[in-house]
Amino acid sequence: MLLAQASPEGTLEVPDIAWSAFAPELLVAAVGLVLLLVAVARGRHQLVAIPAAAGFVAVGAWLITAGVTVPGATTIVVGAALPAAVFAFPRRVSMVQAVGAVAALLGALVLTGWQYVAVLDLGAVTIVPQQALAGALANDGIAFFTRVTVYLSALLVVPLGYAYLNERRINRAEVEPLLLFAAVGMVALATANDLVTLFVALEVFSLALYVLSGLARRDRRSQEAGLKYFVMGAVASAILLYGMALLYVATGRLDLPGIGTVLGLVTTDRLVAALGLGLVTVGIGFKVSLVPFQLWTPDVYQGAPTSVTGFMAAATKAAGFAAVLRLYLVAFPALQSLWVPVIAVLAAASMLYGAYLAVVQGDLKRMLAFSSITHAGYASIGLLAVSDDGLSAALLYVLTYAVSTLAAFGCVIAIERTRRGEVGLTHLRGLGRTSPAVAGILSLALLSLAGIPPTAGFIGKLMVFRAGVDAGLTWLVVIGVASSVVAAFFYLRIAGMMFLEEPDPEGPIPAQSTGMSLGIAVAAALVVFIGLQPQPLLQYAEAAASLVR
Amino acid sequence: MGWITVTIVIPLVAALVLAFASELEDAGIRAIGLIGSVGALLASVVLAVQFDVADPNLQLAETFTWIPAVDANVSLAVDGVSLVLILLTTLLTPLILVASWSSITDRLRGYVAAFLALEAAVIGVFAATDLLLFYVFFEFTLVPMYLIIGIWGGAGRRYAAVKFFLYTLLGGLLMLVAILYLFSQAGTFSYEAIVALDLDPSVQRWLFGAFVVAFAVKVPLFPVHTWLPDAHTEAPTGGSVFLAGVLLKMGTFGLLRYALPIFPDATVTFAPWLLAVSVVGILYGAIVALMQSDIKKLIAYSSVSHMGFVVLGTFALNTTATAASVVQMVNHGLSTGALFLLIGFLYERRHTRRIADFGGLAKQVPVMAGLWLLVSLSSLALPGLNGFVGEFPILLGTFQVNRTAAVLAAFGAVLAALYLLWAYQRMFHGPLEGEANTSTTDLNRREIGVLAPLLVLIVAIGLYPKPLFDVVEPSVERVLVEVGVQELDVEPAAAVTREEG
Repeated sequence: MLLAQASPEGTLEVPDIAWSAFAPELLVAAVGLVLLLVAVARGRHQLVAIPAAAGFVAVGAWLITAGVTVPGATTIVVGAALPAAVFAFPRRVSMVQAVGAVAALLGALVLTGWQYVAVLDLGAVTIVPQQALAGALANDGIAFFTRVTVYLSALLVVPLGYAYLNERRINRAEVEPLLLFAAVGMVALATANDLVTLFVALEVFSLALYVLSGLARRDRRSQEAGLKYFVMGAVASAILLYGMALLYVATGRLDLPGIGTVLGLVTTDRLVAALGLGLVTVGIGFKVSLVPFQLWTPDVYQGAPTSVTGFMAAATKAAGFAAVLRLYLVAFPALQSLWVPVIAVLAAASMLYGAYLAVVQGDLKRMLAFSSITHAGYASIGLLAVSDDGLSAALLYVLTYAVSTLAAFGCVIAIERTRRGEVGLTHLRGLGRTSPAVAGILSLALLSLAGIPPTAGFIGKLMVFRAGVDAGLTWLVVIGVASSVVAAFFYLRIAGMMFLEEPDPEGPIPAQSTGMSLGIAVAAALVVFIGLQPQPLLQYAEAAASLVR
Repeated sequence: MGWITVTIVIPLVAALVLAFASELEDAGIRAIGLIGSVGALLASVVLAVQFDVADPNLQLAETFTWIPAVDANVSLAVDGVSLVLILLTTLLTPLILVASWSSITDRLRGYVAAFLALEAAVIGVFAATDLLLFYVFFEFTLVPMYLIIGIWGGAGRRYAAVKFFLYTLLGGLLMLVAILYLFSQAGTFSYEAIVALDLDPSVQRWLFGAFVVAFAVKVPLFPVHTWLPDAHTEAPTGGSVFLAGVLLKMGTFGLLRYALPIFPDATVTFAPWLLAVSVVGILYGAIVALMQSDIKKLIAYSSVSHMGFVVLGTFALNTTATAASVVQMVNHGLSTGALFLLIGFLYERRHTRRIADFGGLAKQVPVMAGLWLLVSLSSLALPGLNGFVGEFPILLGTFQVNRTAAVLAAFGAVLAALYLLWAYQRMFHGPLEGEANTSTTDLNRREIGVLAPLLVLIVAIGLYPKPLFDVVEPSVERVLVEVGVQELDVEPAAAVTREEG
């Protein structure tokens, strides 16, 4: 294994690769590969699982002897989970995959914590940024925080979607591997510190998501979603690539800090640079669905299998914003006078447009899609503050948004499983009586999305508003307030439909299954916990305001 | 853990127990509701005993670390103003729960839990000395009240509940922006630190505006009062009582606690404008009340008028009027609360609230008629009852600063006599006709028991208001000193106690 090069003695004559900088991604990608092979092997998945587990255990043991105990132990445990799952569920490949994915994501979260403690300096006020692969990867606050958000989202999505995907016979073999690959791509995007890595990472997770959103082969909407996402995404990628090319023309650099330095020089061609910046803004605006690049969002969110939609909403937003924050704060600070007004207008438009259109939606997933556009606007306020407070606020915001939206999508899945069709507003009639738990948690998630205390969403909104007010963007914050009130209207309408109306005898009773209920409960618990006791998270977010510049 | 925390935690724990105890019988639900609300009442009485009346400052302070990252803490303390409002809250809640025993049969568990949660949040609003904590409690009151109106309300309840929620939310969020600006100046959410800020007058105007909008919606002041008649009319009896008795006070309390001392320059600048708005509200509410055919709507509009008096007194900015406005907050809570209870009891018997459907009831239900008259007289400020000791000093104090406002407001008091007595006359006097009227039953013991504490206080405060003023006045003076319209030692008594402390 290549890992041999990472021996801490460092006696080998190879470039020193800081493996620790992307240890979680290595683990997740490796497990993703094994899970794919497990699916391919069909009936003989022991033949894959056992050698793979042996490999993991060997690597883990070697790591422990080399002195890196935590990653070694994690590798062994995750590796051992695979054959354990195979023997526990010999005939259910999908369950083996789900268990493997959960183990990998838990392992990735452990490794992220290990990175935070052991590699990044714990004593310092902020995380000490670290570079890897000759500056291609930046392992800093943004990377750390986005890892947590993405892996946590993926971890919640696996149990949330398990029964739903099985019942709909949505092609099972690919789901978990693709989910893991998408997560790796997203984290790679958050760590990417040069244009090439950034683009490759973007494509890695986008390709996985294109396939995931089209997975329901019997569902035309899902087909539409997959195709639409792919075509629009490809166009956006092309525009982004063109913008990157122009940036390279203007600066002669590919690494973001280098671009930042050269853009600050007077000799740089501002026109080409500005064109590049504009095209990059379009391309990346598409990924985080800022108005006017949001057109794909409602259709794709509505059509994709719901667990995939939840993952897209939560994790893509986190990864996209990580890239946005890094790009604009590291590469484009010299062009601040250009992009701050533009993004401010886009953010304002997103907040208002998303909120107003969400009001007229009858379909729950579509409504959540429009609300995700609104939330992209809120998170942008953190970027526009161009400050450490703003940076940590934006990171925090996407995390609070992720847990809230996952709790909401989890409830949608629960209802959708019995309804077997789209969930409209009217299908929620009287749910507060027939199924108080689901109705209560859905209301909680919506209150959190609306930013009502004491929920996670309130803390997120508080911090971005605070950063905005500190940076003198009070007008934008006031627009955010206006949009929050409109948003509260449609969130309330849903809550009202569940609690204020009499139940419809024909109405769906939400399904229950261990995994899904557990996923929903964890997401809801996080919403409440972060809302009541935000201090630990705020502390991490504060520490995460560090960048490789 | 001090007694303020205990007062908040008891109803909160009871609410949480109810929220998760899905198998509970109705009797058990009622028992837990009573334990929670009476427990809070007892705790607040202990709080009142510990309270040092002579001390004008916030006292019995308790602080728990909450979010050190933004220096926000769970800081609680009371002054005279918060103390009387907390006592009002803890008194009304058990009465409301007992009053609702016969009228609420559907989803009783949720109803009781919502009231207990609401009670805890409102006490938090009155006791918070951290602006973020205050905001959290202030916004959190929306959720249970939304449910109370929306689930157990009348035919138009959905509209009324959403309107209530959105109006208050918009005001509240604007206040949040202003709070965040104050935070960016002070670096903390602590009340003391923010009051100590020396803000530029032009900045003060904007921030004051945001705070006043938030509180004006809650009070409600004309022209942002339109949610109130809907909410009052559609809410169940308990909801109306709590809304009138306690929730509206959050607005006037907020003005006095936050808007005045934090923005002294803006307060002085805008005081004439607020006097004008209050007078418009007083007259408008009274005239519209006069024209109502629905008795509950009539009382709802009378609330707009009466709360106008409170704001008038607050912005007269002298001890006479401002202290009386706090007393009037309590009086309005007692009188209007009692009126809404009576309307609720009548509605349970008749399922109508149209004044024209009643007539001659004094012969049929003499006890109810007598109590109704007493409460109406208290509400219209008859000397000897509590309304008078609040409204008269408000007018007196206002007269010293703005004669026009005082004279116009006095017309409001006259109109109050008109609409309340006219309604009483139409409902309880005249010929007793119709099957429905002749079969109406009088109040039972439980209902009289619910009203009794309120009636006792109405008469007691009317005859001997001094203790109430004694509690309130030092705190009000402290605020007026902070605004800068009052010298430190105008009142010798207060100055002496300050030296002692």
